[in-house]
Amino acid sequence: MTTMAMNGSKHVAGFGDRRAIEEFLIHEARMLDERRFEEWRDLFADDGHYWVPLKPDQASPDGESSLFYDDKAIMDTRFERLRHPNIHAQTPPHRTCHLVGNVSVQNVDSSRRECTVVSSMIMTDYRMRTQRLFSGRVEHRLRQDDTGYKIVLKRVDLINCDDVFELIAVPI
Amino acid sequence: MRYDPDHIRSLVHRDRIHRSLYLDPEIFDLEMQKIFGATWVYVGHDSLVPAPGDYVTTRIGSQPVVLSRHSDGEIYVIYNSCGHRGAIVCNEEKGNAALFRCCYHGWTFKTNGDLDAVAMPRGYGKEFNLNDPSLGMGRLPRVAVYRGFVFASLSPEGPSLEEHLGHAKDSIDELADRAPDGEIDLSAGVHKYMFRGNWKLQLENTVDMYHVPFSHESSVRRSGKQFSRRSGQESGSAISDRGSAAQRWEQRSAWGARSSGHSYNGHQPIAEELPDDPAFMAYFASLEARHGKERALDILKPKRHNTAFYPNMTLQALNQHVRVIVPVAVDRTEVHVYPIMLKGAPEEMNRGFVRHLNLTHSAASLIQTDDLECFRRCQSGLSARGSEWVWFARGVDTDREDERGDYVNQGTVEIQQRAQYAAWLRLMSAGA
Repeated sequence: MTTMAMNGSKHVAGFGDRRAIEEFLIHEARMLDERRFEEWRDLFADDGHYWVPLKPDQASPDGESSLFYDDKAIMDTRFERLRHPNIHAQTPPHRTCHLVGNVSVQNVDSSRRECTVVSSMIMTDYRMRTQRLFSGRVEHRLRQDDTGYKIVLKRVDLINCDDVFELIAVPI
Repeated sequence: MRYDPDHIRSLVHRDRIHRSLYLDPEIFDLEMQKIFGATWVYVGHDSLVPAPGDYVTTRIGSQPVVLSRHSDGEIYVIYNSCGHRGAIVCNEEKGNAALFRCCYHGWTFKTNGDLDAVAMPRGYGKEFNLNDPSLGMGRLPRVAVYRGFVFASLSPEGPSLEEHLGHAKDSIDELADRAPDGEIDLSAGVHKYMFRGNWKLQLENTVDMYHVPFSHESSVRRSGKQFSRRSGQESGSAISDRGSAAQRWEQRSAWGARSSGHSYNGHQPIAEELPDDPAFMAYFASLEARHGKERALDILKPKRHNTAFYPNMTLQALNQHVRVIVPVAVDRTEVHVYPIMLKGAPEEMNRGFVRHLNLTHSAASLIQTDDLECFRRCQSGLSARGSEWVWFARGVDTDREDERGDYVNQGTVEIQQRAQYAAWLRLMSAGA
């Protein structure tokens, strides 16, 4: 299956189709696991954000601290650093594996071609003889344009969002 | 005992310290008694407990404590332990309560730590004095607040907080004066990270100007400049070229107080243009209204880049935050980073401070992760027997004494760490 198909471009007629959206989420997670960060960034709409709150039920990323709150410009900075040959925190790099499940498509707005998708996520990461488990509830706000689905917001609510973390180098 | 004062003195020299300071659990236990159990330790900020009944839980060294605001409006620091069987009373990181109630047998305590009531009191004999203060949670012997910064000491005696802070106190003033209302606010959440290393690795690092071009090499973009670390700036500074940037590092002042262990680095001595966005203009107008133009401009002149208050708190002015170091074990440390909002400043400006700190100092940030990796590697490498020492010799021959009897130098020296270990030695070798 090609990337284009995974992006949902063949499902324009069936906007909000759960299967196509699930494929999109799986594809998105794979971009992270394969460290194809620039391609992951391109899945976001130009006004898109990636947000990992630090508090349960955090109301807003504005005026409150977050683990991640990246627009596309910040993503560029982050990924340029991840490509730097002397990034000590990723020498050696983390390996990650995402599992995406319990996908539920909600609030389908066919006229604006926008929907909200709620899923559960488990990410395992491994580096330097330490394996960690991150898990949480993920909300994707998606918008479909002529090239496929675009992420307007990816919000990851980790069950341990207010934990004390060892270093995290790549998006969850 | 293995660590008598003579032995302690043999571990700290003017230019180096023994590696056992990072590795030996006995030394860690002694630090909890003689440093965290004796001197003034930063506990929290009063903006975390604005209303009566508000509390936060934390630790002072090995001691679990509660910082609370009582119904009398005052700040209290009390042990987080039931006067009956010793259980932790306040089990959440923060909250609001009329009374603290122990889960085990239902004893209740006032929010200043005093015993409120004992469940089923008639079961106690006549000689059991329910008004005995030792049945409360217990207050720390000394608590003092300076411009909202709450410090406590487990020792009933010693220098006052102002004496202890000394010249480092000006760093708190410089920061709080930047708020149009004269107060800062730390209530925008907290970044918490952990590393498998000794607490002193973090303390040394917060005032280390030598590591920046190396540890943080990957934060320099292809343009040669670091990413923007301030709201409204297109890019950051050139932190690692070999010309003018290196020269600016050398021109920074460095100060260390060998008695208290506090230290700071000056700001780079270049004139920075003030921003001209609407939020900043509104901010400047309110500062000017309070202080007049001349004083407002002076307040905004960058003076100190970062300050480390021995043993557990640092202030940084660039990506403004309060950082609290919580030792857990000889090879394990937690760090809590609070973004600083300026009371009375436009909301948009404070939001910018909070947002930028996500990028520089969260556990997933572009700066702090480099340091965490270095700390981890230090702790792993320090057990190597190739050397007994860790060196802080940079600039040792050019330190000058200032009019206060503190030590000054400039640039990428290690005077800050030398001050920390002079204080370590003084506290750790003090009489039993």
